[in-house]
Formats: sequence, structure tokens, C-alpha cells
Amino acid sequence: MERRRFIKLLGLCSIFLPGSLRQLLAAQGPVVAVSQGSDHAAAARRAIAALGGMQRFVKAGQTVVVKPNIGWDRAPQYAATTNPAVVKAVVEECLKAGAKKVKVFDRTCNDARRCYASSGIESALKGMKNVEVKHLEEERFKKVALNGRVLKECELYGEALSADVYINVPVAKHHGLSRLTLGMKNVMGIMGGNRGSIHKNLDQALADVNGYFRPQLTVIDATRILTAHGPQGGNLADVEVLNQVLASTDMVAADAYATTLFGLKPSDIAVTRTAYQRGLGEMNLDRIRVVKA
Amino acid sequence: MRLPRPPRISQLFFLLLFLVLFLLTEYRGSDRIVAAVNGFFRADPLTAVSSMLAVKGYLPLLFPGLLMLALSLFLGRFFCGWICPLGTVLDLATDRIGKLGPIRVLQGRAKYWLLLPLLFASLFGLNVAGILDPIAILLRALTFFFHPLLGETARGGWKSLYGLLGDRRDLLDPGYHLLRDYLLPFRETLYPLAFLSALLFFLVLFLERYEKRCWCRRLCPLGTLLGLVSRFGPLRRIPAKLCPDCRACREHCPTSFDRELLQMDECILCLQCALNCPSQRVRFDWRGMRPETGPVMERRVLLGGLFGGFVLARTFRFREPEAQARMLRPPGVREEGEFLEKCVRCGECMKVCLRSALYPALLQAGPEALYTPVLVPRLGYCEYNCTLCGQVCPTGAIPDLAVEAKKREVIGKAVFDKNHCLPFAKRVDCIVCEEHCPIPQKAIRSELVEVTGFQGEKLQVKQPYLVTELCNGCGICENVCPLEGKSAIEVFAVKDRTPIPLSADAPSAPPSRPPGGASPDPYAGSNG
Repeated sequence: MERRRFIKLLGLCSIFLPGSLRQLLAAQGPVVAVSQGSDHAAAARRAIAALGGMQRFVKAGQTVVVKPNIGWDRAPQYAATTNPAVVKAVVEECLKAGAKKVKVFDRTCNDARRCYASSGIESALKGMKNVEVKHLEEERFKKVALNGRVLKECELYGEALSADVYINVPVAKHHGLSRLTLGMKNVMGIMGGNRGSIHKNLDQALADVNGYFRPQLTVIDATRILTAHGPQGGNLADVEVLNQVLASTDMVAADAYATTLFGLKPSDIAVTRTAYQRGLGEMNLDRIRVVKA
Repeated sequence: MRLPRPPRISQLFFLLLFLVLFLLTEYRGSDRIVAAVNGFFRADPLTAVSSMLAVKGYLPLLFPGLLMLALSLFLGRFFCGWICPLGTVLDLATDRIGKLGPIRVLQGRAKYWLLLPLLFASLFGLNVAGILDPIAILLRALTFFFHPLLGETARGGWKSLYGLLGDRRDLLDPGYHLLRDYLLPFRETLYPLAFLSALLFFLVLFLERYEKRCWCRRLCPLGTLLGLVSRFGPLRRIPAKLCPDCRACREHCPTSFDRELLQMDECILCLQCALNCPSQRVRFDWRGMRPETGPVMERRVLLGGLFGGFVLARTFRFREPEAQARMLRPPGVREEGEFLEKCVRCGECMKVCLRSALYPALLQAGPEALYTPVLVPRLGYCEYNCTLCGQVCPTGAIPDLAVEAKKREVIGKAVFDKNHCLPFAKRVDCIVCEEHCPIPQKAIRSELVEVTGFQGEKLQVKQPYLVTELCNGCGICENVCPLEGKSAIEVFAVKDRTPIPLSADAPSAPPSRPPGGASPDPYAGSNG
């Protein structure tokens, strides 16, 4: 090859290759696995398997935190809390992948004892070896410097921070302020202090926390969703049965896809929009690869 | 060492039972609580008599109390010597306390001067006997003072251990969990009348400085009531007097043998005299009615008691109107007057309250309502699905309602303070109160309003408003309001506590989309 041709080729490569490389990567996009079925545990398992299985996230001997939504004193059918069958399936997958210990907890809004009992999660996990369903203990909250846009610092739960793997298992439902509460908002369950005070800047504050603390895996329970009067509901007329479970490593993508289940666009949800703008994940549905499992 | 005698065994058994029932008065994962937790109060004759006098009617819940009274006619004050847990505590402590000899003022008729005004006051509608009821004294000392103190100490120690050891503390978890699950209060609550409850208890204990069972024989209104009854009963000690050759009974008797003749209205049937009689001469036997007892009390005492009760009932009534606005009673209480007549101030409801919402009233409702439960929403709220206070109330002052009925009972009504509420005063979003409102149709809703920000910019803010007809006054909104100190939404008492009508439970608006599938139970999930 002539020297001149070689240099030309090199020059052309330097112009086109990076672009095509970027496109190649972009085409990959984040994956959201969606499974459907009335056996909710099996649906959850299939969604996780479609991402490559739990062993992709959990290695033998690790401590895992599974964080469902146990926020309210409501029975599972009201879709205010995460489906216990989904939680149990996630926990079992963690154990199967070799987790040393799985901790399940949430900072509740109603009395913790009632929430844990009514949600059905406590009884679903009762008696399982190496699984702890714990009430939060105040002293374990640690002040963390977030240096975010609105939250300079914030108290987060120590056991969540120190876990090797953190799996976010929210329920998809309506919310009076943020319109929907999905994966991103579920992080409030490990926040200490006066949580209500972040409502005045909810989307920015949640982006601050989620930017600092990111779950390795988000499993969204959409087996039944609360379409109005959230986040508590309490009326079966507001509940819609979808029998779906979503899973993704990209919590923004998971939230974005889940938004469509409510007949809304991802950009309608300020929390999702802000997180996307901050580069926490993908929100454009055409750049998200949806895998039916 | 001597073996424990039957009375002592019984005493220890009932004290233990009392403590176990006390610890069981707590939410333990089930919506219903063991019915026996208020057993001591329901079998308490003073509670029965004073409450029934106050409401001037029969209260079926308190039948065991009447039964106990009837039993005392035949068996004497066996309650005091065999059952009363406060008496047992005194018996256990008294030997370690040196004696100074009886107090003169308390001898004689003092106890009647205490009991009669209390009973007559009940007749005139003021039921305050519970303040001096021995079971209530002990239970309140435990609920308001000892138990929170124990919880505070243990939990504080556990917390500071975390500061020292960090996560290595978890190795000790199993031991602490045992303590936490069975012994400690779930929540650390400080009570406004803790000092008074402790004071009264220690005062009763302090009286042991003067003579054995001083409180029981000289003051206790329950003991006095039982004494009044057992005076007429057929049970007698034989011999009735001290035997001239021995007189050992004097040494052994804790209550009534400082005189020649055994006083059946002070005898607590502890059987010390019979068990320790050197010649085994003493026994208790039924011998028909006792004609030889003198008059129960002089006419002076009776009339004085009547007058005292009347004066008490009239002068304890003062109430400050301002304080009344926040007199929130437990769910199901509709009439303040009827509630005050029935409430025995035992503290059971405050002990069991899931979210530490109930506190003893100091003087908010006048001296008449001392120790009655008041809901303080800023400290705790009434949990929507919880009915425990009604379950443990021994007199039905707080009715035992089914969950669905309780949810509709009106405690008060919430009111916004727009000078504090963030969306109004600061023009920022908040809606924490709406989020927490447990009513499925939401008694707190918000409307999207366009407002001008403080820099002149156009803003969209969600401003909350109240649907008064749906509000049951549970107080969670006031409890969770993120403002510091004073809440921007407050629950005020209302006279008309008509429950929220059932029709209000119907969905106010159709769901945004029809529910998918025909499955009646969405959780069962049958559609695809």
C-alpha cells in the first residue's frame, strides 16, 4: 500500500469510525425484560432470566438487599405494596445464585408492624433460611454527602449502603404529586429524616439520591397496578390487573417502560424526565430494547 | 426455708398474670387482641360500681366485677390478700421497709371519707374512682413510667452499642430481639403524666413506712368497698378475739389484729393467723350473719360523703373552651359526657395505641377528665385499620367496633392553616397530607392552580383542600406535615361525630380505565 493511500484511509477512518462505533453501542440500548403471566413468581423469574439470570448480579457469599414497597398498611390486592409472590421469587433467585444473606426492609409510612403483616411480605418470607425481614433501626441511618442540585446531604440506611447487591422491587402505581411512583421513587424507603420535605422539589431530589445510590437491578411489579388515589389506594375499583413483571439494570428505562402501562409517556413523569436529563439512564422508548420473556 | 403458702402462691400467680396481660396489651401481628388483657378491670368491683352508678344502668362488660363483689360477701376481702397485684407488690416490699407505727389521721373513718364522696360523685355523673383504684394505679405506673423507662434504657443502650461496635453489633441481635419482642415497648413514648403516675405509686409504697398494708386498710377505695360488703357476710374467724393465752396473731396479722377483735372489713384473708397458730386453734368458717358488728359508719360520714360527692361533681367541671378545641377522643366516642362517665382512666387504651396517639389528659378537659385518653395528632395518629383501643377498654367507653365501622367513626375534622401550608404560603408543591390520607376516596385532595411566584413568574402549584364529609379526623395529615413544630393542617374536635355515611365509600370517580378482565380478586390474577 502506498504511504499516501494509507494516510488517506487512516484519516477517513478517524472521521467515520467513532460515529459508527457510537451508533453500534447506541443500538444496544438498555434492556427491559417484560414477562407476563398469572403465575407472578414465575413471571418474575422469567424477567430476571431474560437479563441473564440472577447470577449476573449476585455472586456466591454476597449480602443482598431486596427493597420492595411495604409503605402502607394495605392488603396485597390493593396494589399499594409490592406483590409478595414477586418479592419471594426475587429473594429465592438471590439465594439460588449463592447469596449469603438476603435482607428485606422498607421505611414504612404507616405502622411498620401492620405494614409488614398486611403486605403479606413478612408471612411470604417467613421461615426462609438466610433471609431477614427487618424493621428499620434509627441508628443505622448514615449521613451521606450527595452534593446534588437540591440535596447537599441526606440520611441513607446503612444496611442498604453496605450491601453488596441492592435490588429495587417497587410496585407500579399512581401518586398524587409525581403522577406515578416507580423504581426511582422507591429509593425513598431507604431515606431517613423528614422525607416529606423533599416533596417541594421531588424530581430533582430523587435524581440526586438515585444518582448517588444506584440499584444493580430493578424489578417492577406490575402484576396489578393502582391507577388512581395513590400512593395508598384502598379501593379495588382503582386497581387494574396486568400480570406483568419488568426487570432492567437501567432504572430509568424500567420506569419509562412502566409508564406506558398507565397510558402515559415517559416524558410526562417529571421524575423520569429529570433523571434522563441528568444522564442516569435512558428514557426514549425507541432506544430501549424490550425483551419479552 | 418454709414452702410458700396457698395465699402467697395465688398472689404471685395473679401478679405474674397481671404482668403478662400488661405485656400482651400490644399489637402482635394480629388485628384482634387477647380478650383477657383487661380482665383485671372487668373483675374490679370498684370499676363496676362507680361506672354503673355514673351511667345509672347495667354494663354487661363489668359483670365480673359485680360477681367479685358478691363473692366477697361470702369470702371476705380475699381479693386483697389473694389477687390484688398492688397488694402483692406491697407484700413483697414491706419486709424491707422499717415501720414507724400507724398514722393517726388515717385511722378510723378516713377510708369512708374517701370512698363515699367518690361513689356519690359517680352518682352525680363524675366518675373519678379510677384515679385511686389500686389496679389502675399499678397499671398506670407501669404504662406511663416503668415500661417506657425500661424501653428507653434498653433501646438507648442498644443504640449506643451500635455507635461503639457498628455492624458487629448484629452478632448480639438474637438476644436483643428476644428482649425487644417480648419485654420492651415497641415505641418509646414519653407520657405527660408519667411523674404523677409514678408519684402515686411510690406514695402507696411509702405508706408501708408506717404500717403493713397501710394503703390497703386505711385508704384503698376498692378495699374499703370490699370491706363494706364482707362486713355483712357469714364468713368468720374463729375465735373472733385474741386468745388470752397466746396472742401470737398480733404478730402475724398484716392488717386487722391490732385490736382485740378481728375486723372482718380489714381482714384480707391472708390466713397468716391460721397458718401460724401454735395450737392450730384458728380457722375461718361460715356462721350465718354477724349480729355483733357495730354500725358500718356514722350518719355523719354518710351525709358528708353525699355532700362531698356533690361538691366534687360540681366543682370539677370547669373547662377551658380553647383547650376543648383539641379534645380529640378515641375513635367511636361520640358523646363527651357519656365517655367521661364510663372511662375508668385505666390507661389500657394508651398502652395499646399502635402509633402512640393517645395520651392522658392533664387539665385540657378540666380536672374531671384527668387521665382520660386524648389523641394528640402531632405526636401520633389513629391508624386507619386498627381497632385495638376499643378492644381493650374494659367498660366500653371506647366501643369495640369492627374495622369497617371504626374507619367511619369521626374523631374530629382537619382544617388547613393557609398561613403555614407550603403550597399557599411558599407556593411550592408538597401534598404529603394528601398522600397519607388513608380514606380511599381521599378526604384531602388538591387542585392544580396557577399562581404568581414571588419573582413574578407564573407557577403551577398543587393546592390541597379538604373534603370535610369524608374526613374522620385520624390525624395522620397533622402527624406527617413536614413543617417543623406546628403543623399546617390540624384536627379539631367537633360536636357532631356522626360516622361518615357508607355511601361515601363508593368510588367518587370511575377509574381511569376499566379494570382488565373479570377477575373479582385482582390479586389472584387469572386474566392474561
